Amino acid sequence: MKRLLPLLLIIILGVLTALPWIAGPTLVQFAINALMLATLAQGWNIIGGFAGYASFGNSIFFGLGSYGVAIAMVQWNLPFGVGLVIGVVFSVLFALAMGVPVLRLRGHYFAIATLALSQVMSAIFSNLDIAGRNIGLVLPLLRSDTLFYELSLGLLVIATLTVFWLSRSRFGFGLIAIRENEDAAQSMGVNTTRYKVLAFTLAGIFSSLAGGIHAYWITFIDPNSAFDLSLNVKMIIMAVFGGPGSVLGPVIGAALLSAISELLSSTLSSVASLFFGVVIVIAVILMPKGLTDCWLRFPVTGWRYFIHNIRQHRL
Amino acid sequence: MDLLFQVIVNGLLLGGLYALMALGLALVWGVLNIVNLAHGALIMLGGYAAYYLFTLLGIDPFLALPLVMMMLFVLGYILQRYVLSLIARSPMFNTLLITFGLDVIFMVLAQLLFTADFRTINPSYAGTHVTWFNLTFPTVQLFSFAVAMCLTVGLWLMMLHTRIGRAIRATAQNLSAARLYGVNPKQIYALTFGIGAALAGAAGDLYGVVSQITPYIGATLTAKCFAIAIIGGLENPLGVIVGGVLLALIESLTALYVGPTFVDVASFGVLVLVLIIRPQGLLGKTA
Amino acid sequence: MSTPILSLKNISKRFGGLLAVNGVNIDIMPGETVGLIGPNGAGKTTLVSLISGTLTPTTGEIVFQGHNITALPAFERARLGIGRTFQIMKPFPGLTVLDNVAVGALYGTTTTNKALSQARDEAMEWLRRMDLHSKAQQRAEELGGPDRKRLELAKAMAMKPTLLLLDEVMAGLNLVEIDEVIEAIKVVRETGISILVIEHMMKVIQSLSDRLLVLHHGQQIMAGTPQDVLNDPRVIEAYLGKRRV
Repeated sequence: MKRLLPLLLIIILGVLTALPWIAGPTLVQFAINALMLATLAQGWNIIGGFAGYASFGNSIFFGLGSYGVAIAMVQWNLPFGVGLVIGVVFSVLFALAMGVPVLRLRGHYFAIATLALSQVMSAIFSNLDIAGRNIGLVLPLLRSDTLFYELSLGLLVIATLTVFWLSRSRFGFGLIAIRENEDAAQSMGVNTTRYKVLAFTLAGIFSSLAGGIHAYWITFIDPNSAFDLSLNVKMIIMAVFGGPGSVLGPVIGAALLSAISELLSSTLSSVASLFFGVVIVIAVILMPKGLTDCWLRFPVTGWRYFIHNIRQHRL
Repeated sequence: MDLLFQVIVNGLLLGGLYALMALGLALVWGVLNIVNLAHGALIMLGGYAAYYLFTLLGIDPFLALPLVMMMLFVLGYILQRYVLSLIARSPMFNTLLITFGLDVIFMVLAQLLFTADFRTINPSYAGTHVTWFNLTFPTVQLFSFAVAMCLTVGLWLMMLHTRIGRAIRATAQNLSAARLYGVNPKQIYALTFGIGAALAGAAGDLYGVVSQITPYIGATLTAKCFAIAIIGGLENPLGVIVGGVLLALIESLTALYVGPTFVDVASFGVLVLVLIIRPQGLLGKTA
Repeated sequence: MSTPILSLKNISKRFGGLLAVNGVNIDIMPGETVGLIGPNGAGKTTLVSLISGTLTPTTGEIVFQGHNITALPAFERARLGIGRTFQIMKPFPGLTVLDNVAVGALYGTTTTNKALSQARDEAMEWLRRMDLHSKAQQRAEELGGPDRKRLELAKAMAMKPTLLLLDEVMAGLNLVEIDEVIEAIKVVRETGISILVIEHMMKVIQSLSDRLLVLHHGQQIMAGTPQDVLNDPRVIEAYLGKRRV
């Protein structure tokens, strides 16, 4: 199994790369969206899954990336690539400036501070002339789903490789130590402040790039869609559902949950969201450590796995 | 100048309701260490309960308060006893996620059962007001302010002077010590969550009278409650009054002097600043 | 006599109105094991936190191996060679026992980018010395009392410190377990590093320390050999005074 995994991944990657030439346009469009969500979940995994900081502020980076591309292309007539760079630069600056004070907060306080920051950013952009205020910006239309697809796939691959590197590097190990016990990590020589800010920045870069690509693809952004809090919740759900702190968990979680909600929403949209809510509640109760942990342990323990989880976590 | 005073009066009256909205969230957070993302949805459900009691049975929303609170208490008690207690020792993400899941479920159910139409509870005295010193005090706002204050102070007194209140505070301080004194934590947790939900229900009832209810108000209300609870601090129910009034004043003064589109910049900006500078809340003890 | 590895110069720490540590002067020599005793609330743990950098002193100066470290954050002190254990054990609960110790080998006094595999090898070596290697793949939260204490020792030692602060390692152990952990500490002492042991139990202190300091109400009231100190009337009074409360 261990030997086969790389081979299997290469085959899957090959099929995914060829997808636009095999599949119909609806599937490709669904895939672009799913790839974006997977990239966002993978970005969240760096700060949330590895460092253990439940960020509700990753949608800020998504928004900065979206507006970077939109403003560059619409207001300044710059090419798409320059827009992506602008978005990344602003995201990095934001992560460095806000990361230091906000990452001093722990637990729920960090979660709420980032949540509030994303509301502030949304409100600021809805007052900026250059960002089209409340109305938003319309980007030039580029009809090439193949290009957007390959870009999104490439970004997800880079994000996943980065997380793979994290999982076996000194830096990643330090982040895990912070997640497990920040005081102990600090007293054992981990520069916790720098590590947390770096993780936040790294997560921000991927979210920002995903936002930039998404803005050009969807050709329209406004403050509500760019700094969408429910998008942030989606990343968390996908990463946590898949297995936070693992390499492939967030990608699998994003793929599965996107597929489920796509299948359901084609029948009845409100029932689909109801189901989404129920899935979250049940998944959190039955497999609090995510899909990857379930995947590893369920074959060994069988149905007792779920009972064991409840026993271990209930009051 | 009159305008400024009127805006301050409106802010104060609204602040009372804000305090009541956040009171249950702060209680559950402080005692159970659960940040309940479905708190706004519970407020929304309270609003609908009061709306239907009024339109179908003709019960005045202020008289319906005990009834609405009972209904939400039962819902909250069941939620904690049979759902949330299952993950009491899970990592923090999981509590956030499960309450978010509940938020989605309540929202969709409300949309299916009550439709997405705007609802307002309109008793005969809605629209009347009293005038003191050239300032207008709308009757329903004045009533709801008074009720909100009574409930907040009532909770404070209950926590200080009743057996249940002491048991809840003991549980918040130290779960295993509380167990030693014969407190059943499952019971106390469920009771606390039930009380939190009942307070949300009361807030929803009043909210339906002074504003409009839709299935979608939950998330915004939850965010506001965070701001209020954090500005006021979690230690003391009276802090929530300060938080509520401050937030309402900040909102109305920003809307007046800077512009209505800057309200969120100001209110959430203050929240971020308070978190960074004084995470224990404006009234909390220094570490 | 060589120069001290650690010098506390007139260290005080104030929390609001409470003077937790009041003008303490301590020198620790290379290779020396110093015991620090005192009744509850005497300021022992505060002193450890001041040395390890979790707290900064209100006044005074801390010199470690010739560097003034008074203002350095905890992680930089760890890098200079100050390791510590916590009174309330702080393992990385979800990591394996091996990886808990590997964090120390990967960070600690190592500043270069060491490979994970090498860090795990070094960690395994310390697990062997602490007699924990059979439990290397268990998660730290599954360990029992004395094993947790040995894990704390292994974690701290994997950092390759020159000074080790042991904050009430024996808390919560029974007499048999205490003897086991004393043996483990003796293994650590044989590496020749300096140790500051904070302890309640006289038996532990007597069998480990070269020299003994007594802290009471934040002040150092006595220093000397274990024999002298434990027979001193002031020390007896400090302890009996505590018992009456």
